[in-house]
Amino acid sequence: MKEETPTLKKAFTKSLMSFISITPMLIAVMGLVGLMQIYVTPDILSTFFGHGSLADTLVGTLAGAISMGQGVISYVVAEGLMEQGVSHYALSAFILAWVTLGFVQLPAEASVFGLRFTFYRNILTLISTIIIAYATVLTVGALS
Amino acid sequence: MKIQFKGIKFLIIVLVLYIILLLSDTTHALSGLQKAASILLSLLPLFLLIITLTALINYFLKPKQIIKHFGKDSGAKGVFYALIGGIISHGPMYAWYGMLQDMRSHGLKEGLIAVFMYARAVKLPLLPFMVDLFGLLFTIVMTFYILIAAVLQGKVIDTVEKKQS
Repeated sequence: MKEETPTLKKAFTKSLMSFISITPMLIAVMGLVGLMQIYVTPDILSTFFGHGSLADTLVGTLAGAISMGQGVISYVVAEGLMEQGVSHYALSAFILAWVTLGFVQLPAEASVFGLRFTFYRNILTLISTIIIAYATVLTVGALS
Repeated sequence: MKIQFKGIKFLIIVLVLYIILLLSDTTHALSGLQKAASILLSLLPLFLLIITLTALINYFLKPKQIIKHFGKDSGAKGVFYALIGGIISHGPMYAWYGMLQDMRSHGLKEGLIAVFMYARAVKLPLLPFMVDLFGLLFTIVMTFYILIAAVLQGKVIDTVEKKQS
């Protein structure tokens, strides 16, 4: 079968249609992100820490996963937590989880890529985040 | 061309949530709505970029080429492209779903989607913040581990996919 060569106009139309098809999902995610930013404030997040490095790492991962917003905010929050004495393990996990995990966008991810992919990817990301947080702190400690 | 919308149920749930909050906690609900609107406005240029990028990929890369570069037999080259794409991609993950969905329908393998998604943990514009907070050595080590984890996640996802199919 001969492969059809799209014109630039057709390619744009197809791309636009494909994007429009996911707009309900994007609007829903943005709506939830807006609510999360109002209800899950840095002050609330900081109250979850302070229970030892292992517990704090898990808390950091979960707190990062439920928080949404610009990545730079995670550093501002992390700086405040660092001043409160929260461990580097927890802070690394928090920053990593902020950008790689997102409970709010799980339904959107599942509707685009399917439940199986979303499940495995997020479990792997969760595990990777905790391992990287520990491995980084231990490696830096050994090297310096 | 018929459009098949995705996430309608999800949107309805969020709308219901907003209605409940508007009735019970109006101030916060309105602030949330305002935040959501400002996120939407700030992301419009990125959406335009992604639509253009997807169109250009569709135009310049035929499905056969997408399979060659990003498909089952793309090998290390495909992983390398996915890592670079993840590192330089900007904005929230969900903004890229449309492009990834389009490329997947043309043969992009799922392992590379996972590689792309995890490599996004390396945020080039935020690296100075990380250096400032944790130091240079910490930043280099963490970036290195992120890239390794991204590649490993891709491998695991591909293995799972192979077993299932």
